[in-house]
Amino acid sequence: MAKERSFTEKEGYFGDFGGRYSPEILTEALIELEDTYNKLRKDKKFQKDLEFYRRNYIGRPSPLTYAEKLTKAWGGAKIWLKREDLNHTGAHKINNTIGQALIAKAMGKRRIIAETGAGQHGVATATVGALFEFETAIFMGEEDLRRQKLNAIRMQMLGAKVIGVSSGTATLKDATSEAMRDWALNVSNTHYIVGSVIGPHPFPTIVRDFQKVVGEESKKQFKKENDKLPDAVVACVGGGSNAIGMFYGFLNDKKVKLYGVEAGGRGSSPGEHSATMLFGKTGFLHGTKTLVIQDDGGQVVPAHSVSAGLDYPGVGPEHAHLHSTGRVKYETVSDQGALDAFMEVCRVEGIIPALETAHAFRFAKDLAKELGKKKDILICLSGRGDKDVAEVARLVGLMQGDSI
Amino acid sequence: MSAIKSVFSDSKSAFIPYISLGDPNYDLCVDWADALIRGGADILELGIPFSDPVADGPVIQKAFKRALANPFSMDKILETTEKIHALHPHIPLVYLTYFNPIFHYGFEKFAEKAKIAGIQGMIIPDLPYDTPETDELFKSLKRRGVDLIHLVTPATPLNRMKGIRDFASGFIYYVTSYGVTGERKSISSDLEDRIKTTKEVFSLPVSAGFGISAPDQAKEISRYADGIIIGSAVQRIIEENGSNPSLCRKKLEEYAQSISGSLRGKNS
Repeated sequence: MAKERSFTEKEGYFGDFGGRYSPEILTEALIELEDTYNKLRKDKKFQKDLEFYRRNYIGRPSPLTYAEKLTKAWGGAKIWLKREDLNHTGAHKINNTIGQALIAKAMGKRRIIAETGAGQHGVATATVGALFEFETAIFMGEEDLRRQKLNAIRMQMLGAKVIGVSSGTATLKDATSEAMRDWALNVSNTHYIVGSVIGPHPFPTIVRDFQKVVGEESKKQFKKENDKLPDAVVACVGGGSNAIGMFYGFLNDKKVKLYGVEAGGRGSSPGEHSATMLFGKTGFLHGTKTLVIQDDGGQVVPAHSVSAGLDYPGVGPEHAHLHSTGRVKYETVSDQGALDAFMEVCRVEGIIPALETAHAFRFAKDLAKELGKKKDILICLSGRGDKDVAEVARLVGLMQGDSI
Repeated sequence: MSAIKSVFSDSKSAFIPYISLGDPNYDLCVDWADALIRGGADILELGIPFSDPVADGPVIQKAFKRALANPFSMDKILETTEKIHALHPHIPLVYLTYFNPIFHYGFEKFAEKAKIAGIQGMIIPDLPYDTPETDELFKSLKRRGVDLIHLVTPATPLNRMKGIRDFASGFIYYVTSYGVTGERKSISSDLEDRIKTTKEVFSLPVSAGFGISAPDQAKEISRYADGIIIGSAVQRIIEENGSNPSLCRKKLEEYAQSISGSLRGKNS
C-alpha cells in the first residue's frame, strides 16, 4: 500500500508555492507518478536510457555559440547563446518529452496526451509518441492552431491526433484545462506529459529535472571556453521550463545575475499581457499554487502575447518562489519589442529565433549596454522560429517578394 | 447532528440538484432554485462560477461562461444565496466552488458570510484533503458548523479514504465515474460495492454524482446511495430554456418531481 500523505509534508512545495491542488480523480495517478519517478531517478538503467536518447536522438549537448555579430551590433557585453534551437524538433521541449515518455513506458501506459501553445511541446510529444509507439493526442487552442499551423501539421504527420479547443480564450490556458479533463477520464491508461514547470506536484519537479541539462551543460561549456562564469543569464518565461532549466545550473552561483523575461504584450491593462510576475497575485490554477493573473473576484484573466508560447496567465511555482526570494529578476518586453528583436537577430546573426526567445533577446540588448564590454551575457535560445514566420510576416507586413 | 446530515435517513434517498449561480443572471437563478425545491430537492447545490473549471464537462463550462458574462462578485453570490435561503429556510444549501475565488476572498470572511447567507456545506473539487489550506479552511468552517464535503472517486484507494475521513463531514460526494461532470448512459458495475465500502469507512451518508441524468438511473442508484446529485442534466434544462423563464421554471420543477419521485422511499 502506498505511503499515506498528510498536509504537513512540504514535498512538492517551493517556499509557499507549488503543491497538489487537483481533482480527487487524478490524485492517485499523481502519487503513482511521483513514486515511479522517485524510483526511476535513482535507477541506473533509466539514467542510461535517458542519456542515450539525449545524445543519439535529441543531439545533445547543444552548442554554445558566441554571437559575435550581435555583440558588435549591440555594442556592449559579449553575447553567448545556448542553442536549444538545434535540438531535434527545434526546441528545448524535447528534453522533457523524452524523459516523460520513458516514465510513461515504465508505468505501462499506452497513451500520452499533452497541451500545447506554440506547438513546440505538441511536436515534441508527437515525436516521442511516434518513437515509442504511444497513441498520442494533443490539445491546442483554436487561436493557437491558427497562429501555429505549421506545428499542428507536423504533429499530425507524426501520427498524433490534434484536438482544437474552443472554450475560453482558445489558447494555452484552455488547452491545459482540456488536457486535464481528458486525463481525468482516461487516467488508467494515459500519461499526461505536462509541457512546462506548471501543474500539480510532481510535474514542476519532473519537468525541471529534465530541463536542468540546459543549464548544467551551459555552465560547463562556458567555463571551458572562458574559464569563468557568465555575468548574467537571460531566458524567456511563459510557464517557464526553458528558464528554470537554464537557471538551475547557476542558482548557487550568486555572482551570476539571472533574468526571466515575460511577455509585456501590448499594454498593462488586464488581458493585454502575460506578465504574471508583475501583475499576478497568489492563487490556484491547473493544480498548483502560484502567481496568477486574476481579477478582483479571483477569476483568471485571459493572457495575451504575440507569442503563443508565452500566452499563459500563470507561471511555474518554482519561478514564483525565485521571484519572492529575489534570486531571479523578472522583466517584461512588449510584443513590438519582441518583433523588433526577432527581425534583428535574423538579419544580424543569421538565426531565426522563436518569438518566445525574441523577448529574451530584446531585454538582453539593453542589458548588454548597461553591463558594458567586459561582461558576458548568456541567453537561452529556447527554440527556432520556423513556426513563427507566417505570423511574424503577417504582423510586420512582410509579403512574398517584398524587401523590408 | 448537522442540518445536512439530518436530511438523510435509512428509509429514503435524498435528491440533490445543482445550479450554477448567475446563469443566465442572478435574479433568475433564484427562480430556478425555487422551482427545484418545490419539485422535491432535499438539498440544493449552488455552483460558484469559475473561469477555469477543470473538473467540469461542457454543460457546466457553458453555464459558467454565461454566468461570468455578468459582472462577478462574491458579494453578489452571497446576496443571491441569502435570497434562496429566505424562500426555503429549511432546505440545506451547499456551495460547490473551485478554490481560487474563496482563497482570494479570504477564508474567514468567506466562511462567516457564507454561514450568514444560509450555507451549510462546501464542496471544493480542487482542494484535496492533504494540503495546508484544507486544514485551515476546515477549522474555519467547523467553528461555524458548516460541513466540508469531500469527494471520493473510483480511483481513491482505501488508505486515502482514511486520510479524508478526518476532514469530512455532512456527507460524502461519491463520484460515480472517471472524467468530468456530464450526463452518461452507463454507470460502472461495481458502484454498489464502492458506495458500500465508502459508507463503512466514513460512517457518513454517501451521495452519488457525476453522470446521472435519467429517473431510471437515479432510481437504480438510490437503492444503495443515500443521495443522488444531478448537475449537468439540470443545467442543460436551463441552457435550453433559460431565455423563457416561466417555461424553464416549469421544466425544472417537473424534472425535479420526476427524479425525486423515482428515488428509494420517495415514491408517491
